[in-house]
Amino acid sequence: MFAPALRRWYPLALLALLALGLRTHELERRSLHADEANQAVKTGELIEHGFYAFDPRDHHGPTLYYATLPLAWLRGETTLATLSETTIRLVPALAGTCGVLLLFFIARPIGFGPAFLAAALMAVAPASVYYSRYYIQETLLVTFTLAGILTAQRWWQTGRPTWALATGAALGLMQATKESAPVFILCALATALLVARHRPATPHLGRDLALIFSATLGVAALFYSSFGTHPAGLYDAVKTYTFSSARATGTSGHEKLWWYYPSLFGWGKSGGLVFQQLAFSALALAGAILAFLTRSLLLRAAAFYTLLVLVALSFPPYKTPWHAVHLVPGLAVLAAGTITLIAWRPLALTATASLLLLQLNQTHLVAFLRAEDPRNPYAYVHTSPDIRKIRALAAAALSAQPNGTIRIISEEYWPIPWYLRALPTGSVGYWSTPPTDCDGALILTSTDLAPTVRARLHGDYRESFLGLRPGFLCVVFTPAPPTTP
Amino acid sequence: MNRSRLSLLLALLALTGVAQAADLVPLQIELPKPLFAGTPRPISLPNLEKPRSGKRADLMVPAGTVNLSKGKPVTSSDSLPVIGELTFITDGDKSGTDGTYVELGPTPQWIQIDLGAPAHIAAVAIWHFHSQARVYHDVVVQVSNDATFKTGVTTIFNNDDDDSSKLGKGKDQAYIENYEGKLLDGKGATGRYVRLSSNGNTSDELNHYCEVEVHGSLVK
Repeated sequence: MFAPALRRWYPLALLALLALGLRTHELERRSLHADEANQAVKTGELIEHGFYAFDPRDHHGPTLYYATLPLAWLRGETTLATLSETTIRLVPALAGTCGVLLLFFIARPIGFGPAFLAAALMAVAPASVYYSRYYIQETLLVTFTLAGILTAQRWWQTGRPTWALATGAALGLMQATKESAPVFILCALATALLVARHRPATPHLGRDLALIFSATLGVAALFYSSFGTHPAGLYDAVKTYTFSSARATGTSGHEKLWWYYPSLFGWGKSGGLVFQQLAFSALALAGAILAFLTRSLLLRAAAFYTLLVLVALSFPPYKTPWHAVHLVPGLAVLAAGTITLIAWRPLALTATASLLLLQLNQTHLVAFLRAEDPRNPYAYVHTSPDIRKIRALAAAALSAQPNGTIRIISEEYWPIPWYLRALPTGSVGYWSTPPTDCDGALILTSTDLAPTVRARLHGDYRESFLGLRPGFLCVVFTPAPPTTP
Repeated sequence: MNRSRLSLLLALLALTGVAQAADLVPLQIELPKPLFAGTPRPISLPNLEKPRSGKRADLMVPAGTVNLSKGKPVTSSDSLPVIGELTFITDGDKSGTDGTYVELGPTPQWIQIDLGAPAHIAAVAIWHFHSQARVYHDVVVQVSNDATFKTGVTTIFNNDDDDSSKLGKGKDQAYIENYEGKLLDGKGATGRYVRLSSNGNTSDELNHYCEVEVHGSLVK
């Protein structure tokens, strides 16, 4: 039915479809995390006003926002109000799918089967799937890193300047995605120096390095300067390191112990739910040992790179679970390498099927069944599904009082601005401390500020609760309907 | 003469009042220790409800009131909970730690305790989940002699202000869960079955129960 060449690539196409399906199925199912909402509103402003300025203080690089533009245009979403959760999350979903394919091509030197298995393990990995459905920069950064590794690998082997340029472009995209890019570039570089058995094939090393360097700078500069419309972004791209280094080493509320990232790939039970990737981790660990027994260059590279990244991520006290996605490609290659070394084919096939099913089962749990459950280690400080009720509450409030004001009075209120983005301008306001006049068509306040707000209200209000995120409750004041005599 | 009769009548009334008051005793609820399950997650602690100063006000119940629900069978709209067992609701363990609560699915869900015989309900104490500040939505507590709750239903608590659970609108206040549980006055309701309904909570869409205690006395 298929030509031999086509038959060879047919499984890869199916794998890409599986990866895409896992990453795009019911993208609106999970409520928006505060970080996602924050960035989505920023993207909405870019779509609506055509302007973006890099914020060195609290935001990462611009590629996420710019990558959303074509998708929004294709889907006919031209304003913040019309921008949908599916559209924004399609960006990391597509990037995550590309990452799976890139890993296959990187691992190709160890054979079609092992490379395919490594890609399959990344396709179904819980962390990779979860954060490919999450509108933050991390999945894009992983994909650009893999693109950088693949192009650098090709350049090293062929010496072609086009691969040097492509490497520079990938590195530039990494830098334009997140300020932490140099960490992964340095880890990859150190890995290359540790495992390479020969010099790069190019006879013009200086020229090619200059090409890589200038392409990196050029691409990064394009994005940070908002394609030339905001030159100050170039200075801010450097200035951001003062803020990010303070965040990484200072007190941010995200401090965790050094074994946090390994623990995400271990075993954990919380509230009756078990989150575990023991089989995957054990096979990856075996792969790391085998890498040095079998002299496999790629396995060694995967082992060194993963270890270096793990150390680099674990050293600073600041840790968040989305960084775990950087460990998945290396672990997938190592686990695949172990299975491939099982000589007895039925055992190898059984191990492969079991491992994929176990990982799929965990992915189903974390990314679909319990995607916003506080017990899910990836649902970090996640928004409560309760927040979705705010739209209906706001609509009812403005229906009762068309000229009324919705007041959000809370120390923290993200992702509410996303959920109220379609309201008429001027109908909703946000305060971090209670204003003198607190009355409105609907007032939402934190329980901490509620006594002050309550004291400043005139007239009758009904009170109810709304969860912003686990542990953070809001009190909703709704004007009481007039009593009939 | 009239004055002496009036005095006698007043004295009798006073004595009756004293006798009635003597029949009432404060309901003793055994409280689990405060639980702060170690969540190093950066939640906003200042947002937690301010602790009440002093002891919770006593709920006065007739002497001889006992916990009727301990060990009694429990049924539910979610008959196969993914986490926990329905028996946890009346097993006496209200600590709130993992393995002591049952988790029911999303959307309005109810649990029902069969007291075995009709009883005068003096109080109901509910512990949904208290290792985190959260509010359960549309909490409704009803008593009936009809296991299907179609007839003779008495509602003793209802904070479903928009009737989203289709059990009628309620005017009771929503409340934040804590280790003390929610103590409800039985309002003199009589029935064999006690049904509790809820509709998710402020942290997730699920419904949880650590323990429910139904205090009262069997109808003689």
